[in-house]
Parts: sequence; C-alpha cells; structure tokens
Amino acid sequence: MTLTDPRNALADQSDFIGYLVGLAGLAQVISTLAGDGDGRGEDPRDPDDFVHVLLGLASIGATIEGFANSVMAQQNPTAKTPQTASATRWLR
Amino acid sequence: MNPEVLVGMLAEMERIRELTLDLVEQQTPRLAPAPPHEADGTERTMFDVLLGVRRAVLGNPAAARRVHDILVAEGRRYARTPRGARLRDGLVASEAVENLRRVWEMLSLNVLDGPAAPNTTPDAWADLLADAVIGRGLDDSILARLRPEDFA
Repeated sequence: MTLTDPRNALADQSDFIGYLVGLAGLAQVISTLAGDGDGRGEDPRDPDDFVHVLLGLASIGATIEGFANSVMAQQNPTAKTPQTASATRWLR
Repeated sequence: MNPEVLVGMLAEMERIRELTLDLVEQQTPRLAPAPPHEADGTERTMFDVLLGVRRAVLGNPAAARRVHDILVAEGRRYARTPRGARLRDGLVASEAVENLRRVWEMLSLNVLDGPAAPNTTPDAWADLLADAVIGRGLDDSILARLRPEDFA
C-alpha cells in the first residue's frame, strides 16, 4: 500500500466500536473502584493527576454510554426523543 | 522528495526507534525483566500486559504525555460537574485506587510526571533513561568516585 495506491478495505478492518466499548468498560471499572471507599475514609488525599486521569477516562466512558443510550432510546418506539440521523451515525 | 520517500523515512525512523528501545532494554534488564518461570497462563498474560504498558509509555514518552495531559484536562473538567465531583470524592477515598496508583507508578516509573515542554518528551523520562543506562555498572569504586554527588 502506498499513498498513491491506498488499500480500499482498510476501513473495514477497523475496530472502532471495540475501542469505544473498551473505554466504556474501563469507565465502569473506575466507578467500581470509587465504591471501595472504606480504606481511606478518614484520610483521603487531595485529587492529583492520577485521580484526574481516572476521572478523564470515566468522563469519556460516560459520554460513550450516552451515545449508546441515545441510540437505544431512539430505537424504542415509546421513547419521546425524536429520531435523528446524526445520532445513529455515532453507534451503529 | 516525493510523499512515498517521506513515508519511507518515517517508517525507517520508527524501526530505528524500536531497535533503540530494544537495545536500552537489553542494557537495563530491570526495565524489561524476564517473565517468572513458574507463571501459569493467567499470570503470564498479566505479566505481558503490564510489561507492554511499560514499554508503551517508555517507548513513546511524548505521545504518552500528550494522552496523559488530555485525560487530566478532561478529568478536571468532569470533576466540576456534580456527577464527576461525586466520582472524584469516591476515588480519593478508595483503597483500591491507592493500590492501582502503586501499580501505575511501578509500571510508568513516574516518567510522565513533572515538567515537559509542549510536544516533547518529559524531563523525567530523560532522567530515568540516563540513570538507567549511565548508572549501569558504576559499582566500580574508581568510576563511582567520578559520579557526581546526588546523581541517582
């Protein structure tokens, strides 16, 4: 493959949805970790970069779940949210 | 110089970068320790994953730092929301997060922390590799005298 001779089927090998599901899974693990608050309840440290990295992953995971939930809500005929083509474009 | 030559140069530099990283790991076995002999399937898989994370960070420090900074910025933004603030409070009080922090620090050797000019490798990464490579074999008493004081 070269720039002037691209491989047409390359996009078909993408696992983009797999990436998104993996990030959402990581976010759920982080939420589970946050529930383990018995050990440092008396002496919590200030949130540092490490905690903010975890929060960043959780935020991205929550956004991804929001995409999926909006699509599922649109596929539910009883849902009040109107269907739009732009939302179904995100998660197929 | 046409685009194909440029792409070829990039591919070659990537190959050289990987080979250099291999060489660094060979000279500093502690950065890439051999797997435990008695490790079974699951333990061996976990060992390989952890070592892969370390190599990904040490081998791509500038990119890893950029991802790190993006996640920190997003985490700070999320912490300003009610949901994020609740999660932050849960994380800082979690013993499991403390354990995870130890694992991360052991893997990354904290090379992503501290100062770094934009789009460059963090200073801590250069310090670590310099110490790991230059510090190797300085047990010799004569050479040890030449080692600057406080040089880790």
